[in-house]
Amino acid sequence: MVKSYIRRAYSSFTAHVFDIPPRLMAFLFLLVLLVIPVAGLNPYYLSMMIYANVLAIFAASWDLLVGRTGQISLGHALFFGIGGYSTALLFKFFGLPTWVTIPIALLIGSSVAVLIGFPCLRVKGPYLALVTMAFPIILHSIVKWTPLSYIFEGEYGIRRLPAFFAFLPIRQQRIAEYYLTLILFFAAAVIIYKVANSKTGIVFVSILDDELASKACGINVTKYKLMSLIISGLFGTLAGCLQAHLLKVSNPSMFLLTWSFTPIIVTFLGGIGTIYGPLVGAYIYYILDKYFLAIQLPRLCKYFGVTLPGEFEYAKLLIFTLIVLVLVIKWPRGIARFTTDKLEDLEEARDLDERGPRIWKRYERKKK
Amino acid sequence: MIEEIIIYSTISGGVYALLALGFTLIYGVSGVVNLAHGSFYMLGAYMFYVLGTFAPELPPILAVILAVVFVILAVVFVGVVSSILYRLTIHPVLGDEVGVMVVTVCLALIFQQLMLLAFGPPNVPVDPLIKGSVPILGVTVTYARILAFAVSLFLFASLWIFISKSKIGKAMRAVSQDREVAMLMGINTEKLYMLAMATSSMLAAVAGIFISGSTSGVAGAWIWMYPLALSFSIVVLGGLGSIKGSLIGGFIIGYAEQTVIIVAPEGGQIVSVVPFTVMVLVLLLRPKGLFGKRIEMED
Repeated sequence: MVKSYIRRAYSSFTAHVFDIPPRLMAFLFLLVLLVIPVAGLNPYYLSMMIYANVLAIFAASWDLLVGRTGQISLGHALFFGIGGYSTALLFKFFGLPTWVTIPIALLIGSSVAVLIGFPCLRVKGPYLALVTMAFPIILHSIVKWTPLSYIFEGEYGIRRLPAFFAFLPIRQQRIAEYYLTLILFFAAAVIIYKVANSKTGIVFVSILDDELASKACGINVTKYKLMSLIISGLFGTLAGCLQAHLLKVSNPSMFLLTWSFTPIIVTFLGGIGTIYGPLVGAYIYYILDKYFLAIQLPRLCKYFGVTLPGEFEYAKLLIFTLIVLVLVIKWPRGIARFTTDKLEDLEEARDLDERGPRIWKRYERKKK
Repeated sequence: MIEEIIIYSTISGGVYALLALGFTLIYGVSGVVNLAHGSFYMLGAYMFYVLGTFAPELPPILAVILAVVFVILAVVFVGVVSSILYRLTIHPVLGDEVGVMVVTVCLALIFQQLMLLAFGPPNVPVDPLIKGSVPILGVTVTYARILAFAVSLFLFASLWIFISKSKIGKAMRAVSQDREVAMLMGINTEKLYMLAMATSSMLAAVAGIFISGSTSGVAGAWIWMYPLALSFSIVVLGGLGSIKGSLIGGFIIGYAEQTVIIVAPEGGQIVSVVPFTVMVLVLLLRPKGLFGKRIEMED
């Protein structure tokens, strides 16, 4: 009896995972992620992976809103900062533990999404992008404002937040944090992916494709846009909370344009509108940034007897921006999407219930 | 205090209107929301600084003439750079809103990082064209500010006439109404877009040189953000693509900004809230702006 159940579970698992190359890759990717800390990785790389997990959640939430629903947000840092600041303020004024502050912060984040959703979703296209860009900049100035520094502590932000596993020794703490972020990353990825491929997700894509036509089909467009914004804001807030507790500080820089722009870089690296694209993109980004540019390149330069000037810090963002520029113009599919497409071509395309975003169609249409 | 608010905000309102005019021009003609508009402002100020370092010691009158030449050179340089960049980067993604915005944000960040690489984080000085000041209603106003105000009003008026009367201006309006029909009438839209981009960025560069010269006197790599914020809040207030709207919006934002700077405690720190708050309020109450066209069902 039990044996047959196991056999059936196994065979359905092989049918759903092993036979489909992109899923197999995702599975292997997850396995690699699971064994990384056990493999005794250097703490520097481990913390790199922790932040990559957080960024992956953040970027996937951006992709749901922009790549799937077509609501251009250039201010996703809003949710990031709201997450960081609400958990920090709850800790500061009420002394609540982390596992209480984060759910409350998530609630705050989604209510903020509802609040800004009403003014934002009345407008569309360029207006929407400009309005969403406005909110984090307003908040950035407010939290830095000296007369309010007894609440937000000004430029330095709220410091000395509790770490997640403060009771463990430092090395185990890192590993525990890694697994925590990995679990949340996995949960967020599954939820966002499932939402994006559910019936609701199809409605999102229809809004992206043609809002007027969806309206004509009797879809309550505003409701679905708001839904997308809330889900997206929820995970954005989660990423902000995690980042704040990992760095043990919430400062005004969480509201900066950099944090609105990083998910864009990451999403375009992986492939916009795919959900799994930004997840992979976050790792690629961190590996490029913190491994190749921060460690390997100076080492290489040392080998050739060249010292990198201090200004190289500025060149990093320049390099990433150029990469995104080229990707947007020449290769809008991104790395992850490109890989899965290649794999599918090799193995006779299957019905992956990949209802797929239509965002590339615009590029194809234009190329004609 | 009232006099200060009135005089300063009238002067800055005029320059802001010029800044917003560029933004609204390129949007009206090609539908590009140019988030790199602030970067052309910054680029103008930096170019003026770079050219200024070559200036020899001259008697005052010659120095002013040389400075005017430098302004023109810097502005033309910005125009050429922007139209080339337009052709290379924005044109391939035209028609895709996400693409255009991401590309223009990328351009803005590229300029920011390039300036950081070339000049480092410290601000560079941007000298005003003329020095000295005059009291108006008991408020000391520098000549530089008055000059900025006069130049921007002049440019604004001449551009308005250019767009409404000249052949190229008519072509621009035709393209903004219907691109395909304009092409059928023999208008080279691609060239026209490049021209509009060049004009728009040149206006930004002029505003950059005059605003940085007359107010703070410095330019830094991060100064692109606030002008961008200003220009799009003005444009949203006035209605995207409306010239009259950008003039009136410029003055409204100018007044709101100066009032906050002078009235609020530590007002200088939260001044960047003003344009955004105005913009959000406008979109809440009147989503298409004061003079904008109906946008909800445009496609």
